[in-house]
Amino acid sequence: MIVSKTNYKIANAHLTSRLKQTLVAILSVTFGISMYIFMNSFMTGVNDTQTGLAFSTLAHIRIYNDIPKDNTNLFKNKVDDETLVKVRNPKIIQYTEGIKNSEKILNMLDTIPEISGITPQLNINVFFRNGATKVNGMLSGIDVVHEDQLFGTAQYVIEGNWIDLDRRSDGILLGSGLAKKLSLRLNDNVIVTTEEGITKNYKVIGIVETTLASVDNTRAYIRIGFARQLISKNIGYVTDIQINVKDYNNTAALSEQIRQMTPYKVEPWQEANGQLEAANKLRNIIAIAVSLTILIVAGFGIYNIMNMTVNEKIREIAILKAMGFDGKDIIQIFLTQSIIIGILGGIAGIVFGYLVSVVVNHIPFKIASLETLPITYRSSDYVMAFVFGLITTFIAGYLPAKKASQVDPVEIIRG
Amino acid sequence: MEQLALSVKELNKYFHEPQTFHVLKDISFEIKKGEFLALTGKSGSGKSTLLYILSTMDTAYEGTLTINGSKLTGKAQNELAAFRNEHIGFVFQFHYLLPEFSALDNVMLPALKLGKKPVEEIREKALENLKLLGIENQAMKPANKLSGGQQQLVAIARALINEPTIIMGDEPTGNLDSKNTRIVFDIFRELAKERGQTIIAVTHDDDFASNCDRILELMDGKLIHQ
Ligand SMILES: Nc1ncnc2c1ncn2[C@@H]1O[C@H](COP(=O)(O)OP(=O)(O)OP(=O)(O)O)[C@@H](O)[C@H]1O
Ligand SMILES: [Mg+2]
Repeated sequence: MIVSKTNYKIANAHLTSRLKQTLVAILSVTFGISMYIFMNSFMTGVNDTQTGLAFSTLAHIRIYNDIPKDNTNLFKNKVDDETLVKVRNPKIIQYTEGIKNSEKILNMLDTIPEISGITPQLNINVFFRNGATKVNGMLSGIDVVHEDQLFGTAQYVIEGNWIDLDRRSDGILLGSGLAKKLSLRLNDNVIVTTEEGITKNYKVIGIVETTLASVDNTRAYIRIGFARQLISKNIGYVTDIQINVKDYNNTAALSEQIRQMTPYKVEPWQEANGQLEAANKLRNIIAIAVSLTILIVAGFGIYNIMNMTVNEKIREIAILKAMGFDGKDIIQIFLTQSIIIGILGGIAGIVFGYLVSVVVNHIPFKIASLETLPITYRSSDYVMAFVFGLITTFIAGYLPAKKASQVDPVEIIRG
Repeated sequence: MEQLALSVKELNKYFHEPQTFHVLKDISFEIKKGEFLALTGKSGSGKSTLLYILSTMDTAYEGTLTINGSKLTGKAQNELAAFRNEHIGFVFQFHYLLPEFSALDNVMLPALKLGKKPVEEIREKALENLKLLGIENQAMKPANKLSGGQQQLVAIARALINEPTIIMGDEPTGNLDSKNTRIVFDIFRELAKERGQTIIAVTHDDDFASNCDRILELMDGKLIHQ
C-alpha cells in the first residue's frame, strides 16, 4: 500500500491534534510488545537453564547395547509365519554386553558433520567402601578431554582438578553427595568393588558437584582405560557412546541415520527424558498464550481509540469525501494512523521489553545452579513481537478505518 | 448550440424516515456552460437536497444526472469521488473546513488530492485564491481560529482551486456582510464570463438572485420557475 503524501499529512494531523490519546494507544502497544518479549525471553531462559542442567550429564544421543525390546516373540523375522514355534519358560541371555570395537563406530560418527562432540563411556555398577560404610553407585570410566567437551564436567569440580584424572592411574573423582555419605575428603582412599567381586583402592583427587542429586550422590569418575583394566576388558570396549549434536532439538533424523550404521540402540534424549521435553513445550505454550493475550488486549485498546477518532472526525471524513477523497483514501488515512502507532509502540516496546528482561535477569534467585532469574536474549523474540504487534495494530486499525470509509457524506453534512 | 454543463431528467427523490416523503418531484432542467445560476425557494423546499444530488454525493434518487456530457447516474462511489474532485467545487451551507489545517492547507487539499500540479504551483494558486477573496493575511491561521465569515471565504477559495467545471454553493454568502457578498458575487460572475465555469448558488438573497443569469425556483419540491 503506497500512502499518498496528502493522506499521510492528514493522518499525521489527526495523530498530533490528539496527542494524549495517541500516546495512550502507543503505550498500550508498547506494553503488549514488551510483555511478549519479556515472557518469551524468561520462558526460554528457564527452558535453557533446565536443559543446560540436564545436559550436564545427559548427552543428546546415546548409543548402547540394549536387550531386545520385545521379549515375547523372539523368533519374529527369524522363521516364517508357517512355522510353529513353542518356547517354554524363555530367558534372555545377553551374550554380548556393552559395545566391542567402539573405534569403528567412533570413526564413523566422526564423519557426520551435524555432530559436535563424541565421548565413549564405560559405566560399571560398583560398591564404594570406606571402612564400614558401603554405598552402591556408578563408576564412570571416561575420556577426560571429550567428557568435558560434551558435559563441561570440569566446571563442576569443586575440589581438586579434573585434568588430574589423566595423570594418576589410581585417581578417582567423587560426586559431592557420595563423598559425604562415605565421609571422604580430598586425598582420602576409597575401595571400589565390582559385581564380579574385584576390588581396587583409589585415591580421591577431586569432588564433583553438578547440583543434580542423582549424579552427585552416586557417581564417580576414573579414566576409561583404567576402568577397562578394572573389569578386564579389551581396548575398544565401552558401554555407552555419548553424542552431542549442534542443535539438540534436531536429534530424530540424525538418530535414524546412525541407526542404519550400527546394530546398537540409538536413543535421542527426548526418548529417554520425555518429561524434559514436555516441560519445555508446556512452558513455551504458556509463554505464547500469555503474550498473545496481552497483545490482543493491546489490540482492543487501539481499536477503541481508533473508533473514537473516527467518531470524532466524522464531519471531516464527510468533507474529505465531498472534496473527492474516496473510500480507499479514507482507509489509508486511518490505517496509517494505527500503523504509525504500531511502529512507534513497537520500537518503544522492544526497548522496554529489553530493559525489563535485563532488570529481571538481575533479580537474585539462588536455587540449584542459578544465581539470578534466567533470561535468554533471542533476536527472533524481538522480531516476532514486532511482527505480531504490527499485525494486531493493523487488524485493530482496519475495522474502524473501514467504518470511516463507509461514512455517507450527505448524511453528515446535512446536519 | 452552446455546450451543456449539466442536465437533469425527471428527477425524483424520497426520504423514507420518519415516513415516506416525496422531496423532489419530477425535476428536469439543463444548464449551459458558463451560466451563473441562482437556486431559490422557501426553507424546506428542497434546495439543499437537490444540490447534494447535483454534486454526486447523494446517489439515492430516481432520474438521470449528466454533467459535462458524462452520465453519472449509477456510477460507483469511487468513480464519483474522482469526478467530484476534478469537476465540482462545493461550498457547503455550513462552512466545513478541516480544523487541524491552516486556511492555506485547506484550500490546497483538493488540488493535492487531484495531484496534477506540483505542490509549489498549487500553493501559489491557493494563495492567489485567498488574495482574491481578501483573506491572504489569514493563510497560515488554523481553520478553527477563523471567524465564520472568514471560514466561508476559505471554503469558497477551496471550491475554486481545481478550476472545476461547476461550482455549487449552498448559500455561499450566507455568513457574509454585504461588502464580502459583493466580492464573492463579482468573483463568480468573472469566473462564469472569463473561464466559462458554471455557477449554481442557492440563495435567499433576492438582490443576489436577481443579478444572476437565470433563476431556478423550487416550491415544495417542484421546479416552478426556470
Ligand atoms: N435526512 C432527511 N430525512 C427526512 N427528511 C429530510 C431529510 N433532509 C431533509 N429533509 C426534508 O426535506 C425537505 C427539504 O430539505 P432541504 O434541506 O433540501 O431544504 P432547503 O430548501 O435546503 O431549506 P433551507 O433553505 O432551510 O436550507 C425538508 O422538508 C426537510 O425536512
Ligand atoms: Mg438548505
